[in-house]
Amino acid sequence: MRYVTRRVGLFVITLWAALTVNFIIPRVMPGNEATAVLATFRDVNPAALHALQIEFGVNVHQNLIVTYLQYIANCFTGQFGLTAQRVPVLTEIAGKLPWTLALVGITTIIAFAIGTLVGVVSAWRRGGRLDGILPPMLFIVATFPVFFVGLLLLYVFAVTLNWLPLSSNYSIGATPSLSLSFLGDVLTHALLPGLSLVIVTAGLWIYSMRNNMITTLAEDYVKMGRAKGLPSWRIMTDYAARNAILPNLTGFAMQLGYVLGGSILVEYTFSYPGLGYLFYTSTTDHDLPLMQALFLVYTLAVLVCVLVADLVTAGLDPRTRDA
Amino acid sequence: MRRVRPIAVMVAAGVLAVACGSATSTGGGGGTSNNGKVGGKLLIDNESGSTWTCQFNPFNPSVNITSIGFVYEPLEFVNILQTNPDGTPKVTPWLATGSSWSNAFTTLTMTIRSGVKWSDGSPFTANDVLYTFNALKADPALDLNALWAVDSGPLTSVALQGSDQVVFTFNAPAQSYFYYVADQTPIVPQHIWGSLDQSKLDTYADTSPVGTGPYLMSNCSQDNIKYLRNTSYWKSKPGHPVPQVAEVDYPAFLSNTSANLYLAQGQAQWGAQYIPNIQSYYISKSPSTRHYWFPPTLNVSLFPNLTNPLLGNLAVRQAIAMAIDRSQVSQRGESGYEPAANQTGIVLPTYKAWYDKSLDTLTYNPSKAEQTLQAAGFTKGSNGVYANAQGQQLSFTIKSISGYTDWDASLQVITQELKAVGIQVTVEDEDSTPYTNDTQGGNFQLAYGEMPVAGPGPYYELRPMLFSGSIGSTNYERYRSASTDALFNQYSGASPTQQLDIIHQISAVMAQDLPVIPVTEGVDWYQYDTTSFGGWPTPSNPYAQPPVWATPDNGVVLTQLYPVS
Repeated sequence: MRYVTRRVGLFVITLWAALTVNFIIPRVMPGNEATAVLATFRDVNPAALHALQIEFGVNVHQNLIVTYLQYIANCFTGQFGLTAQRVPVLTEIAGKLPWTLALVGITTIIAFAIGTLVGVVSAWRRGGRLDGILPPMLFIVATFPVFFVGLLLLYVFAVTLNWLPLSSNYSIGATPSLSLSFLGDVLTHALLPGLSLVIVTAGLWIYSMRNNMITTLAEDYVKMGRAKGLPSWRIMTDYAARNAILPNLTGFAMQLGYVLGGSILVEYTFSYPGLGYLFYTSTTDHDLPLMQALFLVYTLAVLVCVLVADLVTAGLDPRTRDA
Repeated sequence: MRRVRPIAVMVAAGVLAVACGSATSTGGGGGTSNNGKVGGKLLIDNESGSTWTCQFNPFNPSVNITSIGFVYEPLEFVNILQTNPDGTPKVTPWLATGSSWSNAFTTLTMTIRSGVKWSDGSPFTANDVLYTFNALKADPALDLNALWAVDSGPLTSVALQGSDQVVFTFNAPAQSYFYYVADQTPIVPQHIWGSLDQSKLDTYADTSPVGTGPYLMSNCSQDNIKYLRNTSYWKSKPGHPVPQVAEVDYPAFLSNTSANLYLAQGQAQWGAQYIPNIQSYYISKSPSTRHYWFPPTLNVSLFPNLTNPLLGNLAVRQAIAMAIDRSQVSQRGESGYEPAANQTGIVLPTYKAWYDKSLDTLTYNPSKAEQTLQAAGFTKGSNGVYANAQGQQLSFTIKSISGYTDWDASLQVITQELKAVGIQVTVEDEDSTPYTNDTQGGNFQLAYGEMPVAGPGPYYELRPMLFSGSIGSTNYERYRSASTDALFNQYSGASPTQQLDIIHQISAVMAQDLPVIPVTEGVDWYQYDTTSFGGWPTPSNPYAQPPVWATPDNGVVLTQLYPVS
């Protein structure tokens, strides 16, 4: 119980720190929303600066402490205001979230599954053919920046071979529905961005899973299992893998932050209209309300995942509960 | 739309091919004739950079390109690409039937058209015009052209005269504001807008706009806006339907590459895209029906910060201007799509009526550039860079916008050419917001850039660039001259011949003082396909600014297009 309260306490403090940083960072960026609109949109008369300053309240000076307290209160009530394009921030985020959630969620699970499986098998058959090829190769690929992998895939499959679409989440003019043809369209559009994310993240899973497995395989209880004559698949899955996967579960949550960050680059590379792309445009447009809300969404996602992972580990591993 | 230039993800666009081509149009489908046919679906192709918000408030600068021209219309059309014989821009009546100035250009009387209906059936009247302009006063966040005196403009009152005239009163001669009043202010319906909170009109989403325009917004999603023709449009007559294109689709393209691909595949007919190597990527796939025309409207210039003691020295600016081979920059940096500029500041051929050839004497001459520096007391150091007697080297940074790859290529040429005459420059790319902040605030040595928006004549570019009152906004170089300011102040009360004379005098200032050094001419990207539709603006018939983001010109184009088959 003490473990759980400590974890939750740490979560609250981290969240507060993140919220505060989130409040400060956009305010020290150069420029303001009014100049950003002038800088971003074509055909706007420079005389519009006055109108835009009124619009965004640029010259309205308010006590920073009051603004800060309002901001914290708004974070809890979900009142994020309007974006620079005057759309409610929540509507904007709600429209993009499903795309990123689906893309990042599915690719993370696939990468985790592939990585863990390959890690387990290659550690079990250490020095084998599989162990000699896949882990080193994928680990090298994992060090590539995700946009680089994305650009390569784009060049090969979209430009040269013309097999897959260049960008976007579905074909222009397609009407979103639950029909098979539309889902197929969405899938072909998600294939390349998804693949780039899988390629760069799978290697890390393999690496950690393989190392954990090797350590676990040296444990006495594994020897004991062998001595008792258990079938080797049972030793591999029930004795070794089950214990070796524990650090990976925590890693799964940690990884989410990396994948979310990666999704910004991937969505930008593939012009995939999800949260990551929104995040990119909000930063270049200096869209303060949107930027803050997105920071919050990203921070919350990572923090909640870490908390859940901690709690799950506590459930799986009795030793942590006493710590 | 977003001010976007080709971005780094260009490998996908096939830029690996060798660039070639010329800025001249490949000719094609001229005149605009109504053949009485109605039909077809027109697809617009222009990178928007973000998905649609499905808001249509014409006073929201981030969305108004999807409502002005389609749904909302202004009072009169001022064509920035066409001039009358006396140099004044060509004006065509729109929701007004005519206008006249009186009291030394301080009173403007607009006669409002009768018989026009809003798309919900209510009649359009002079009261709607009166309401619209008063709304800009009630909510200053709407006054995007700063018309009203409270927003530091010259407009002091708007009043009805009789039932069909609206009288605008200004506190100073205001001819140059005609463009903003007549062309740049869309008229909105009082019977709808009048019942909203008048101080918060700027946040009105206007999701189902009611206008007088040729199209009705029929359906909007994040990725596409569908417009259907307004069957009771006021310009329509029996046997002469307007508009003739039945449906217009405006998809949201997030990237230049996807928008270019769509155009190249022939799926869209009206493009406003930068396409690297346009000849082989776009034109060659159907040379008889595909055309492009890139009319120049603004200078892309080198802005020297005149508060910098070295750049404040005329000899240094002269040396820089003479060291740059503008046609080389145009060819190598801009693939020839953006033509070379001239030191008089007049964009050619667009504003040729205002150009005085006798002033355009500065030519590329690197040896003379070095002589000028030597005559001004600069000596070349051992590193090949000139320095003054105090040892201050002619070594500067140039700020530009990151992602504008054509500007980067141009700057590479400029850097080499300046190095050849002993001036060292380093390019510093910034995001557009900090760049705007730095150029407006004077936090730079040299900056590469252009004025934000063109107007009907060089005045609309030169005034923001050189007027001392614009220091802190668009007078990046911080040029300050009482005589030049006086010329700008006379312009709004001057006759056409006097205006021409004023612009010639300002051209002379540009040519002698070199406050700004124009290098190339920024163009409007525009492609069109005549397979399904005719009536496009062309170099021989420049009846409107052709890119779809140019409002309200887009509305003029939409009413001129017709289905060919």
